[in-house]
Amino acid sequence: MGEVRAALAIARKDVRGFSRYRIAVASTVFTPLYQFIIPAFLFGAAFAVNGRAAGLATTLGTDDLPGFIFFGGLIGGLIGMAFWGVAFSLRMEMDTGTLEPTWLTPTHHETLVIGRALGSLFWFAISQVALFAFGVWVLGLRLRLEMLLALPAVLCAIFAMVGIAYLLAGIVLLIREANFFVDTANFLFGMLSGTAFPVTFLPGVLKPIAFALPTTYAIDILRVQALGARPLFDPALEYLVLIGLTLVSYPLGRWVFGRAEETMRRRGMLAQY
Amino acid sequence: MSLLAADLRAFLAAGLKEIRQQRRYPTLFLGQLFWPVILPASWVLMGQAYSGNDPQALAAFANRAGSSNVAVFVFVGYAMYNWLSVLLWGAGTALRQEQLRGTLEAVFVTPASRLVPLFGPGVATLLPMAVVFASNLVALRVFFGIFPPIAAVIQAAIIVVLGIPALYAIGALFAASVLRFGEVAPVVQLIRGMFVLACGITFPLAMLPIWAQVWAKLMPPTYIVDDLRRVLLQGDTIAGVFGDIALVMSLAVLTAFLAIAVFRYLELSARRTGMLGRF
Repeated sequence: MGEVRAALAIARKDVRGFSRYRIAVASTVFTPLYQFIIPAFLFGAAFAVNGRAAGLATTLGTDDLPGFIFFGGLIGGLIGMAFWGVAFSLRMEMDTGTLEPTWLTPTHHETLVIGRALGSLFWFAISQVALFAFGVWVLGLRLRLEMLLALPAVLCAIFAMVGIAYLLAGIVLLIREANFFVDTANFLFGMLSGTAFPVTFLPGVLKPIAFALPTTYAIDILRVQALGARPLFDPALEYLVLIGLTLVSYPLGRWVFGRAEETMRRRGMLAQY
Repeated sequence: MSLLAADLRAFLAAGLKEIRQQRRYPTLFLGQLFWPVILPASWVLMGQAYSGNDPQALAAFANRAGSSNVAVFVFVGYAMYNWLSVLLWGAGTALRQEQLRGTLEAVFVTPASRLVPLFGPGVATLLPMAVVFASNLVALRVFFGIFPPIAAVIQAAIIVVLGIPALYAIGALFAASVLRFGEVAPVVQLIRGMFVLACGITFPLAMLPIWAQVWAKLMPPTYIVDDLRRVLLQGDTIAGVFGDIALVMSLAVLTAFLAIAVFRYLELSARRTGMLGRF
């Protein structure tokens, strides 16, 4: 119970701290809008024939361009949460000099990651509501009730990303100067998961990596349920693989985080940055 | 030594200082190799997904963009995006960096012209800019097997060189303006986003509403991107885009004067309020 309280307190602290920076809060909505959603929508619309995304229909079995972009962006936001909201926030604690005191509290160090994940989920939910509202209002995004059937896949992806956040947090603690790593790895993880285009368009050498990522299946299931898109594999099989990968990624992430912490203790790296 | 010669020396020294600092952090160049390759490559794959290799979809794109060669279209747009990134994060934040390090006041008490700290750091963007363009060309060749004709590449390089003063002036205007803001990163993102949306970087300008297209015509990057695409994709020549180049150079002069005016205003205001060292 104490750990749950600690996780909630960390989340509350993170939410309160971030909300002090109004421009940064606004940019959680505006940055994805002008960096990806609007340019991708206009780029896709440039291929439209008589107002219909015929090319996308050939590729995916659906001509719902806004839906394709927004549901990819939803899982992309989740990936960003794990990379920036959880893993990179440890680096921020290093910068502000508060990582050591935090580490000395009696709270389990794994709980620190969970707390940050909860705080990031809060901002993730708010930004997605705002983005989807913009999509419905401006870009003609249509939401179908069937998309709720993909909810278990999204929940699985959240758990899987918490596992991956542990893994990334371990790497950030070890490499310290993590900006370039987090930025590039976040982008590649998103692209390999199919946030912007179907993974079938990836070069052959990258496809096995894409199929080893839980988010690939979450995005595909979401697009199948919400847009009626053509699936990569049988959806039942995709669910099975997604659950399997979630079950693997969580303990794997915890293990890497534990090893990183052990290395830090041995080398006395906690205060270094 | 005449005053002009002394200021020229100070200008070169300011540029050299920035280049020396870049050399001290070689990992910064990793990003200039990675992003110019990966970002446009991912958009080309998006283009392939959106077109589905459907001849009608590709024809529709060609009708709006002036060419069905999605790869070169995207790579040219992203060359400008990366150029703007280097400019805004580098020269655009140079004065703010001096302020953060506490050296802006020291620079201001030197007898050098105020134009030196305003325009000097821009010199250092030339090297990363060259790296970005080279990475773009190599990636286009290696990943998509495309290399435009040499004559077109040379003409494109001339357009880029002629476009440098305009981009340089935008960097200086931005650098002077952001001295007023406490937090620069979101402003850089916002301005870069505005350019991405308005200048036809990732999609044809014809996709924008008319009012946005008019707005886009006030921005030099719009012309530079369009001229590069005309030369590389449609076989146009420097002579064919001369009108645009003249316009870009005129906009460069206007922007540079605006930057000087903003900088002067902020300096005067700083003298009165004593805010120069505050941030």
